Amino acid sequence: MVKKDLELLVSLQDIDLMAEEVGEMEKLGFSVSGYSELKKAREELAASISKPLLFRYERLRAKLKRAIVPVKNDICLGCFLRQPTSIGVKGREDEEIFTCENCGRMLYWLD
Amino acid sequence: MHRSELAKYFKDNLFVANLKARSKESAIAELLDLFVTEKYIRNRDIVLEMLHQRETLGSTGIGKGVAIPHGRTTAASEVLIAFGKTENGIDFDAIDDKPVHLFFMVIAPPNDEGNVYLPILGSLVTILNEKSNRDKLLKVTTFTDFMALIKGE
Repeated sequence: MVKKDLELLVSLQDIDLMAEEVGEMEKLGFSVSGYSELKKAREELAASISKPLLFRYERLRAKLKRAIVPVKNDICLGCFLRQPTSIGVKGREDEEIFTCENCGRMLYWLD
Repeated sequence: MHRSELAKYFKDNLFVANLKARSKESAIAELLDLFVTEKYIRNRDIVLEMLHQRETLGSTGIGKGVAIPHGRTTAASEVLIAFGKTENGIDFDAIDDKPVHLFFMVIAPPNDEGNVYLPILGSLVTILNEKSNRDKLLKVTTFTDFMALIKGE
């Protein structure tokens, strides 16, 4: 359940990251004619996420720009602080959504 | 971005001289699978979803036989580029409706060190706008020759 929630949030953030750079993409010559469709897809995805979790995501995003960050080799790639090994074991199993003790971002383990 | 700098983001295990794919979907999947096989990406489904959403925004087939599927994803930790080509050409809904022969897949993390993601895309577009470069890329068979071309040697 948590794994699914985290994956949905990651996909939501991926769309948000894309939307942030639409202007730059257009300048480079890429088509962005489907922007309204992308927004619709974002709304549909957001509707499938529990409201408290979505609220938490939006609040973190407003404050820190990136609400979820990858963790590699136990390092939070948001603030580069090493995460405790005990958190890493559980985090990799996706049983719980953990946040970085230093920057407060939600963590997504890559390895 | 200088071409020698751009060259750092390619890997020989992310190079395919003859793509097997015959459709847009399978071309995206085949290129993505290079990242997955080489363990640069753990969660294939999430990145595939992102790439599909990017195509929803607009086809990354930029015309003249070139496509640059790209995107930032939380499921990646470094910027990498995969290259693939096909002689037959693939219908990629490109902006000029022409089949695509040259594919550059650019995957980037949410934050990339030095903010190189957009300069990489810009540099690729500049290189690929030149017909002579596209013609040479179509003939490339080895990663070494490919890298020489990217570096402008």
